[in-house]
Amino acid sequence: MESLYLLIPIAAIFVFIAVGIFTWAVKKDQFEDLDREGQRILFEEDDNDKA
Amino acid sequence: MSQAPCHHCGEEIPKNLAIQSEIDSNFVDFCCYGCQAIAEFINGADLSNYYQHRTEKAHSALDKAPQDNQFSLIKETELYPLYVFVDNDTHHIQISLKGMTCAACAWLIENRLKQLDGVDSIHINLSTSLASLEWQPKEIDIIDIAKEIRFLGYQGNPYRADQTDIEMKQAKKTAIIRLGIAGVGMMQVMMSAIAIYAGDIQGMQQSFKLLLSWASFIFATPVVLFSALPFFKAAIRDLKTRHFTMDLPVSLGIGLAYVSSIYSMLSGTGHVYFDSVTMFTFFLLLGRFLEEAARHKSYSNNRNQQELSSAWLIQGDNQTEIPLSKVKTGDVIAIKSGENIPVDGIITKGSTCIDESSLTGEYLPITKCEGQKVVAQTINVEQNIEIKVTAIGKQTRAAAIERLTDRALSEKPKIAKIADNVAHYFVILVLACATLTFIGWTIAGSEDAYWIMISVLVVTCPCALSLATPVALTSATNKLKELGLLVTRGHVIESLARCQHIAFDKTGTLTHGQFEIHHIESDDQDHCLQIACALESGSIHPIAKAFKRTSHYSAEDLTNHTGLGVEGTINSVRYRLGNLKFVSTWANDITETSFAGLTLYLVQENKGLIGTVFLQDRLRPHSLEALIDLRKNKIQVSLLTGDTKESALSVLSPDNFDHYKCQMSPEEKWEWLNSQNNKSNILMVGDGLNDVPSLAGANTSIAMATSSDLAKVHADAVLINSHIETINLAIKLAKKCQLIIKQNLFWAAFYNTIMLPAAIMGFVPAWAAAIGMALSSLLVALNASRLSK
Repeated sequence: MESLYLLIPIAAIFVFIAVGIFTWAVKKDQFEDLDREGQRILFEEDDNDKA
Repeated sequence: MSQAPCHHCGEEIPKNLAIQSEIDSNFVDFCCYGCQAIAEFINGADLSNYYQHRTEKAHSALDKAPQDNQFSLIKETELYPLYVFVDNDTHHIQISLKGMTCAACAWLIENRLKQLDGVDSIHINLSTSLASLEWQPKEIDIIDIAKEIRFLGYQGNPYRADQTDIEMKQAKKTAIIRLGIAGVGMMQVMMSAIAIYAGDIQGMQQSFKLLLSWASFIFATPVVLFSALPFFKAAIRDLKTRHFTMDLPVSLGIGLAYVSSIYSMLSGTGHVYFDSVTMFTFFLLLGRFLEEAARHKSYSNNRNQQELSSAWLIQGDNQTEIPLSKVKTGDVIAIKSGENIPVDGIITKGSTCIDESSLTGEYLPITKCEGQKVVAQTINVEQNIEIKVTAIGKQTRAAAIERLTDRALSEKPKIAKIADNVAHYFVILVLACATLTFIGWTIAGSEDAYWIMISVLVVTCPCALSLATPVALTSATNKLKELGLLVTRGHVIESLARCQHIAFDKTGTLTHGQFEIHHIESDDQDHCLQIACALESGSIHPIAKAFKRTSHYSAEDLTNHTGLGVEGTINSVRYRLGNLKFVSTWANDITETSFAGLTLYLVQENKGLIGTVFLQDRLRPHSLEALIDLRKNKIQVSLLTGDTKESALSVLSPDNFDHYKCQMSPEEKWEWLNSQNNKSNILMVGDGLNDVPSLAGANTSIAMATSSDLAKVHADAVLINSHIETINLAIKLAKKCQLIIKQNLFWAAFYNTIMLPAAIMGFVPAWAAAIGMALSSLLVALNASRLSK
């Protein structure tokens, strides 16, 4: 069980990295549109737009 | 036979109307030619997937307001660099879009514009209704891009962020970060908490318990110090203003539990409550975030309207287009047919009909000639005129309505929220109990006095109590949004439940606010209709909208006779369509038919009457049924219209209402609301500029989706689907929500009454207090989730 002394701090580091990435994403406008992104996958993307 | 609703907008299709198109090898019906044109355009551009993907119906093309092209103004004036960012050949602009209802709309616009040569990139943000567009002006004109957007059934205007927008955006970002950190923190702390609880039951080494406590502490600290900051700030404000709201017990709960957890962790005695602290913070933040998000959404990005309006200034024989901000009192400006009148003024040349429906609710345009006054925010629907400006900006009649609105807002009754009332006494009670317990046990000589006091505070921790209301409200707000009512102010659900009286505006609220053909009296009805449609085809008068269908005939030499009717030649025969006075010069044997609405006579030169067309404003589908339902549920309904009595009677009988008030000015509407003795239980429903003061001043108000922006901003909720019966559903849901809030509050109170004496006497160990608190919060949340079913 002593491994907890190592594992919990490592887990903590990962959490802080994740929070850091999240904060960065919010600041980079990734969370600007909360209504649309969830549905984007449902639409077909045409790559050959320009006819 | 029941007909399928309009393929494009889902509105009911009027009787005897057959507008059909072949889309994807199916024949589908439309409610008007506008919707048909849009659907055919979408299909033609190979984008008909839109109809499969969309989750909300589009707005009807009938509801579109007339518009001026703001892109041509920015293109030709010094405003261009303010709106457009130029990078070599690529220009970049932000466009604020109106009419988007779901993600499929954004997909549709993006894909259509991407098909155009010269458009480099287009990205649409659905939450803010903004598009950012990059294009090559050498290849495509921005005005053509704007036209494409219009063909799809949306309206785009140039946009630039002002200070408020930037601040709002920043505030939203901070709120998301706060919420995210609270969520992640909560999950991490929960993991440790479960281990600690398990350890309490089956035994655990003190050193591991300490490790887990430290882990909880590390994750809980950012949640308390950063995420929960808004609660602490609000609590300090409460203390300063001596008006206690729920923020104070919330802050006390979070603060005390956090501090005492640190103390117990360091001293190795007592219990840690980091799990409760973080969960509590997360749920409260979530509720507030959803409420804020709904409010931001209802504000459309139209603050720079004023800057983008233009006027044609007349100097001698020359006309020059100048930005509206440069127009001065005393200038003479030209108002073309179909244009908005931007200022107050007096007609100096010409005579025309003015659509004043936005100010008065009267949807039949009023004839005005030389020397008569016209006011800002109205529309010139017939001839070109020239006016001498008498008032601009803040001095105009329309601006006076805005000032009245500000006054109404400041006098708006403060809605006492149940939870805040409870909070006020609750805080005092809890603090008194805790202090007395501490003093009592200290006097009794107990060493545990401090821990018993903490138990008292945790047991009574306002978790369940302060969650009781917000979780129920959040879940009801989401459900209402599904039903078609967007709630933008927190008090709406509580006041909807108490609603006993609803005041409706007529034009644009209960009705569509435009004419439609009621019936035709003629020997050959189809022939008569075809000729009438051809004659009206060139007119932008609101009456002409009733005749918007394709005709076999084409008319020449069309002339509008202001306030009388239209005249034109079809197959070298002259026809007149208009009122009795207008046609009687050609046929003087017509007897006037009495009809509640508008009667138009169609005569042929040298021949006489061919037919009579009866027009009426159209009620929104199911409005009448909704009114009857409301009255069945013992809710009074009143009609407050700026329209004349005759025109009101033509569509709605007074039998359906408890009060029937006509020809009311915006001031009178507001005063009438104020004069009612149960005014705190009145709900106002309206759409136009003339309703804005009452919408702002009423205890609760709902604006229609097609309302003016000002009306939407000042209303407490927006009826997105425009169906009056939704109000009825909303009231029912609000009542259910109220019941659940009461159950939750009762549970919280019951729990506290049982546990408090036990805690005061020192019978409740701290861990039991914490588990009890968590369970009781869970119960409250589960109870609230019943609302979303």
